[in-house]
Amino acid sequence: MTPLLEARGLNKCFGQLRANDDVSFSIFPGEIVGVVGENGAGKSTLVKMLGGALVPDSGEILISGSPVILHSPADAQRAGISLVHQHFNLIENLTVEENLVLGRPELRHGIIRFKNLRPGFLTVAEDLGTHIAFDARVSTLSVGGRQQVELIRALFHDPRLLILDEPTAVLPPNERDRLLRFIRLLKERGTAIILISHKLDDLYDCCDRAVVMRGGRVVGTSDLRADERAELIRLIVGAELPPPDTRHGTLGKALVSVKDLVVHRDNGTVAVDRASFELHAGEIVGLCGVEGNGQTELLQAMAGMRPVQTGEIIYAVGAQRMANADAASLRRVGVAHIPEDRLHYAVVAAFSLTLNFLLRKLSKPRFVTWGLLRRQAATKATATAIKHNDVRASGPRARMADLSGGNQQKFVIARELGDDVGVILAGHPTRGLDIRTVVAIRNRLVAERARGVAILLLSADLSEVWDIADRIMVMARGRLRGPVRVGETTLGEIGHWMTTP
Amino acid sequence: MSEGMTRVIRVTIVLVVAALVPSLFVLMAGHNPWRVLETLLLYALGPQGWSEVLVHAIPLTLIGLGVAFALRGGLFNIGSDGQLIAGAVLAVFFAPYLEGWGIAGLLVFLILGSLGGAALGALVGYLRAWFGASEIIVTIMLNYVMVQMISYLIRGPMQETSRFWPQSYLIPENCFLPVIVQGTRLHAGLFVALIMVIVFAVIQRRTVIGFVSSVLGANPGAAVYAGFRVKMLTVIVMAISGGLAGLAGAVEVGGIYQRLQDNMAEGFGLAGIAIALIARLEAVAIPLAACLFGIFFAGTGALQRELALPFPLVWIIESAVIFAVAAVQWALPNRKAVA
Repeated sequence: MTPLLEARGLNKCFGQLRANDDVSFSIFPGEIVGVVGENGAGKSTLVKMLGGALVPDSGEILISGSPVILHSPADAQRAGISLVHQHFNLIENLTVEENLVLGRPELRHGIIRFKNLRPGFLTVAEDLGTHIAFDARVSTLSVGGRQQVELIRALFHDPRLLILDEPTAVLPPNERDRLLRFIRLLKERGTAIILISHKLDDLYDCCDRAVVMRGGRVVGTSDLRADERAELIRLIVGAELPPPDTRHGTLGKALVSVKDLVVHRDNGTVAVDRASFELHAGEIVGLCGVEGNGQTELLQAMAGMRPVQTGEIIYAVGAQRMANADAASLRRVGVAHIPEDRLHYAVVAAFSLTLNFLLRKLSKPRFVTWGLLRRQAATKATATAIKHNDVRASGPRARMADLSGGNQQKFVIARELGDDVGVILAGHPTRGLDIRTVVAIRNRLVAERARGVAILLLSADLSEVWDIADRIMVMARGRLRGPVRVGETTLGEIGHWMTTP
Repeated sequence: MSEGMTRVIRVTIVLVVAALVPSLFVLMAGHNPWRVLETLLLYALGPQGWSEVLVHAIPLTLIGLGVAFALRGGLFNIGSDGQLIAGAVLAVFFAPYLEGWGIAGLLVFLILGSLGGAALGALVGYLRAWFGASEIIVTIMLNYVMVQMISYLIRGPMQETSRFWPQSYLIPENCFLPVIVQGTRLHAGLFVALIMVIVFAVIQRRTVIGFVSSVLGANPGAAVYAGFRVKMLTVIVMAISGGLAGLAGAVEVGGIYQRLQDNMAEGFGLAGIAIALIARLEAVAIPLAACLFGIFFAGTGALQRELALPFPLVWIIESAVIFAVAAVQWALPNRKAVA
């Protein structure tokens, strides 16, 4: 049997970097193949070449046995390959339907007949089991909703091969399950699927086999037998993972007290509805919920980035005691904040690492005197920080945008966490990162807890919360449930809380 | 094809198109493009022209710096014309009190100019930060307000004592910026502009306010995350930007006009935007871009006199050059980090 798609000896270089080095790959109709590897292993480069977004330097791609050259995503689409990117390409101010029509040949003739296209969209949407409102603006959709729009767009061409780049990274558990069910449905219909994921559970739940990449090469494959999981991890990482840190903290006094807090969204609707809880020294409290239920706004308000409507957020860190303080004052007394949306808040992509380091250090006399930046001191401190935290970058002068997502996140954590920190507000600190980085970040948080730091962990990954949190609370439609001790609840109960306010 | 080759081809195409388009218009108007270029350059580099180019480059540099500072902070200041007038008016208003202060009087005169422009800029920043007004629209509207205001002042409260000409009284002589090359109009404002280029570069690279404002421009979310007071910052950025335009106003009065009159520095605000953009907001490139525009401002008259070339044609050539410079920058991608 000839494979649906076969890649032979693909090479792709970006300057000095060999992103793909002699990569061969094949997939048969009705097969689901997982592609795993750490950040920068070359997975994205491979699928971009298969999806026509990049042209390989050398090597060939065969579809049903005959060689093709894919110069553009449109070429790939004609060949029956659709690619759904990790970062969505949607225009926020347009409706779902307008987004679906974009880039379609119907658009090129100047007149769009939405009526003729809608039945096709509806059929795909029904298959997907979604009731998406075609007239809704994309800006009003949740992450899961946006992904469904991308999926409908990809499936409208009835592709023979669907490539999904990190589709589960941003999904809450229930939507993830729905997506995986749908992938299996496509498989039954004979569609081949390439699934890129950092989460081994995704692979075990729906893939037939997995291809492991490391350093731009294919280093092995796995049949995904449950008893070989440890070997798979070794194959991905290329070494043993550091063991998870299991130290606990000793519970101290309440460092943060939130009382009857009400916070609004930008559009004036209530995001957080009378929330109250305490965060103690030496504990990790997990904050869970389906995206868009107010967790983001709660975290932003606690970080001093969003105005408090009514109620109080009281910080009692060190000798200081402050209510509803602003972001700069909070940072000064030792409140670290890892924002959930890295590129929107945590870093300036166009700036060097040094300037990004200075972003949250302007109150430190070491780096600023009389309104003047001490750039040498900052460069030196940045160099030390990236070295000690294993941030892979050419140096402090490197541009933030040139770092991989995992390295950017490690940089943010390196900048935020230090000896002077008493409280950590962490928004999805491990989302979309590879196994090794995830373990490193979790271990870091656990170590901080052991040091007596109070940590609020906003996470969509329930297993992560179960692994490292002491208490857990859930937000649904702005109302807070909990916190309860992790040992005194079950996944079922938390899932129930997440969906019923 | 290698990337280097692609780039060379791109730049070549851009330059050819940039040369052809204005040539076509010049030909259509019945003139010889070579003659036009020759006349323009001969004048600009000639014994009379060079100093006039610099005379125009002085205010253009200051305004270009102001626009660039605002743009680095993510704000579009189209109001340099109005801020220039505000600076000139405030400086001239207080100038009579500076008589007999010597060089200190000149210094105060220039500072007053900056303050006038800064006040108008700050007003725009305030409206934008607290009421969400578009700084683009507000600055454009304020330009009209300021043009009418100066027109009123020089026919009313600030008119010269004979009450004949629509112009203000003369400022005291110690507030003049002295001519630095005999037989030309080139005045000491040149040093003011060069000093401000250096100050601008230092502010951008070395100071907290420069850093903080460029964060605001590059990623407003990061500015909130870092805990900057974004509203206040918006006011400060607009004030600094307006202050540079106001300084240009005082420099023009002190160096050229010695009084207020209509149509001072017409079109400098728009040129300042083009200068800031083609200089890519880099301090050292701004005076060079200002000299390029100085050639046009000064050379327009020469082209009219010697070739009877109509005004609009000169503007077409000018815009073709702006396009060419912008397009060459597109053709030469620059991925340098802001270090």
